[in-house]
Amino acid sequence: MMTQHTDTKEMASVVLPVRGMSCASCVAHVELALRELPGVSHVVVNLATGTARVEYTPGVVLVDQMKQAVRNIGYEVTEKVEAEEVVDREREERQQEIRRQGLYLLFAAPVSLIIMLGTFRDYWILPYFVPEWLGNKLLLGLLATPIVLGPGRQFFVNSFRGLRHGVTDMNLLYATGIGAAYLIAVINTLWPEAGFGGKGATFYESAALLTTFIVLGRWLEALTRGRTSEAIRKLMSLKPKVARVLRNGQELELPADDVQVGDLVSVRPGESIPVDGLVLEGYSAVDESMITGESIPVEKKTGDEVIGGTMNKTGAFQFKATKVGKETALAQIIKLVEDAQASKAPIQKLADWVAGHFILGVHALALLVFAFWFFLGYSYFFDPSTSFLLSPHKLGEIGVFGFSLLLSITVLVISCPCAVGLATPSAMMAGAGKAAEHGVLFKGADAIEATSKLTTIIFDKTGTLTKGEPSVTDVSVNGSMNGLMDDELLALAASVEKGSEHPLGEAIVRATQERGLAIADVESFNAIPGHGVEARCQDHEVLLGNRKLMSDREVDIQGLLLQAEALEQEGKTVMFVAVDGKAAGLIAVADTLKDFSKEALERLHRLGLEVVMITGDNQRTAQAIARQVGIDRVLAEVLPQDKAEEVRKLQAQGKRVAMVGDGINDAPALAQADVGIAIGSGTDVAKETGHVILIKEDLRDVVVALEVAKATMRKVKQNLFWAFGYNTVMIPVAAGVFYPLAKLVVSPEIAAFLMATSSVSVTLNTLLLKRFAPTLKREEQQPALTAGQWATTTATGINIKE
Amino acid sequence: MGDYNRDGHKHKGVMPVERTERNVGRVSTLTCMAISGALALSFFALASLLGYPVVARVGGAVWVFLLSMIVSLPLVTSYWKRRHKGD
Repeated sequence: MMTQHTDTKEMASVVLPVRGMSCASCVAHVELALRELPGVSHVVVNLATGTARVEYTPGVVLVDQMKQAVRNIGYEVTEKVEAEEVVDREREERQQEIRRQGLYLLFAAPVSLIIMLGTFRDYWILPYFVPEWLGNKLLLGLLATPIVLGPGRQFFVNSFRGLRHGVTDMNLLYATGIGAAYLIAVINTLWPEAGFGGKGATFYESAALLTTFIVLGRWLEALTRGRTSEAIRKLMSLKPKVARVLRNGQELELPADDVQVGDLVSVRPGESIPVDGLVLEGYSAVDESMITGESIPVEKKTGDEVIGGTMNKTGAFQFKATKVGKETALAQIIKLVEDAQASKAPIQKLADWVAGHFILGVHALALLVFAFWFFLGYSYFFDPSTSFLLSPHKLGEIGVFGFSLLLSITVLVISCPCAVGLATPSAMMAGAGKAAEHGVLFKGADAIEATSKLTTIIFDKTGTLTKGEPSVTDVSVNGSMNGLMDDELLALAASVEKGSEHPLGEAIVRATQERGLAIADVESFNAIPGHGVEARCQDHEVLLGNRKLMSDREVDIQGLLLQAEALEQEGKTVMFVAVDGKAAGLIAVADTLKDFSKEALERLHRLGLEVVMITGDNQRTAQAIARQVGIDRVLAEVLPQDKAEEVRKLQAQGKRVAMVGDGINDAPALAQADVGIAIGSGTDVAKETGHVILIKEDLRDVVVALEVAKATMRKVKQNLFWAFGYNTVMIPVAAGVFYPLAKLVVSPEIAAFLMATSSVSVTLNTLLLKRFAPTLKREEQQPALTAGQWATTTATGINIKE
Repeated sequence: MGDYNRDGHKHKGVMPVERTERNVGRVSTLTCMAISGALALSFFALASLLGYPVVARVGGAVWVFLLSMIVSLPLVTSYWKRRHKGD
């Protein structure tokens, strides 16, 4: 049994796989049965995954009691051991269901067709090739009986199980529909004078076709339902089975599950990386697309992190295992996606509530319809020339009871809300899976719904929009220093700063190393706190620091001031360099933007979102960054602890706010926001706060998250339209509202066909989400580059703007 | 099974879930049968008064009884469950 303990010591949670649920009403019943148990605090039942997640107080209620409560209302509960096993079992059960319903269909469909031909043999051209004996009512009854008692038996058994415990579900709708049609047909065959409509009202074809269409719906549903959970299956299939571990100088081939933290693992070209770790030796390119969504292989060298489940491409390397088993990034991602798929969005809770009460309402409506047509409708409106919709069958001989019952049954069959139960969870599952494919992890269905409704996105500046570490942006030599080159000035400054631990000094040293310049040793070095440094290097007295240092040492920097002020206006920090008492030039350092910040913000603007930047920096620096990336609004000089308050203020203005941050420093603001988006978690996805986790440090994934969420919610709404649309439109038709004008009634089998169509439309519509690709990915896949487009242009995966 | 906690001790003062379920089920069924029976009888009486054929009267009363049971059972069961919890 997989039991996950929640934050508080007293609470525990368990996921129970529940079998036999087929509609939103079933979901409501299972939830109610579990919620009523003492000690159960929270229950979420998911129809698409067939699971019930229960939070409970251990000791007050036992898991066995939960199982019993579910069994008591007619559903089966199985054990859940491991996620992988669940997926295998779910697939096996689905295959069984497909086989079972397929066999039923194989039997019921041709026999129903024969019954239909027999029933309508007097119409159209049928008398020419349908033998007369096939129209014999007794024979039709004999043919219909095995259909009702064979494929139709499941509905009677399931509805009886539920009724024993006071539960009504859609099986009851089917059972009453099939049972009543069959019973009337039998009575009219054996006792035609009994007053049920006589031989003209032997609806064997109704009972048979009703069963066939419902079975067809079940079969198609089973066929399509499992495909929405393919994301989990795909992720699980990534889990490598074998690892090459170096122990005692020998290379052993072990099951990946047996790898221990600290083990030295060897990976050859073309092999999967078995667990997470750090590269110790070797060099290679690794395809991480399956985990991060990054389409280009990532280079790996000593000290780099590798992710279990990714594919080694070119070279061989050895790494030290740092995370194994359930701690690996892949296992955590699978868990998060599973949790998201098993959770329930607010819109789904509403749909479940409506559907849960729908069946009761429908039976009450069927009672009213029956009473109306029995006492009033039949005598006022019935016309013997009445026929069924899309059928030549006339109802001429039918009596008041038969007619009223017929309309009552049709209302029951047509209004089954089984598609409503699938509408939201199937789309949410597909959406969460699709997002995971692109390195975006939603922590729950509610996060998907909330993300789709966002109006404002706040970005933390440092570490989110910017790299979070200063870099050299400008090097400029004073015009009076003839012969001195930029690189020489930078190298000189780096030599002076070599021993410094100041971030600005480190930025200069890094920039020099990146340019491949030599850094000389200094003869003497002196740090002047708050001002800069002085050193003797290559027989020159070098000063590096701010205006104050230059002023104190009487260095004339007039020739550089204009340029320095312009750079400072851009939010850069300017350091002056003086050599032997003369201003030699300046070096500007700034926290630079991340590679895709500007592009991400442009895309967000295109989606119509307001983009806000929050930072503790002063207004000038903040505004400079904001200008570079195109921020709408800047919240500067905000202390870390006040960020959540700023989020609250925006929310108070009626905005739906997402906060994008690093997940550690910004945790309170992420929690306060409607959607907290934690960026660049790498392999530590489970530790992140926030509702949405972006595995890569690519801000464009915020856009991906928004697009996937919007596409998913669009799908949910379309599904709900299809699910409720059929019912809403067809119930009045089935109830005979238009009968006085049209003199047509909907036959139960047409009702069943429409109901099955509703379910199938919903599942097929959801499957269309599998074709969804975020704009970014679509553009990346376009082979030709055009001016102004963003494109991948380097082998290292760095995107540049043309 | 339901009467015991994890340590194998019997719960004191708590009605076992199964027994409560059974009691609620029994009372609910009886209540629903009474309500549905009354409705079916009313239907039968009205249909007889208006001169409907016997088959229609009987068939209609059975259908009304069946639907009334289906409608009332969840409502009544939930009512009795709440009552039991209140006790």
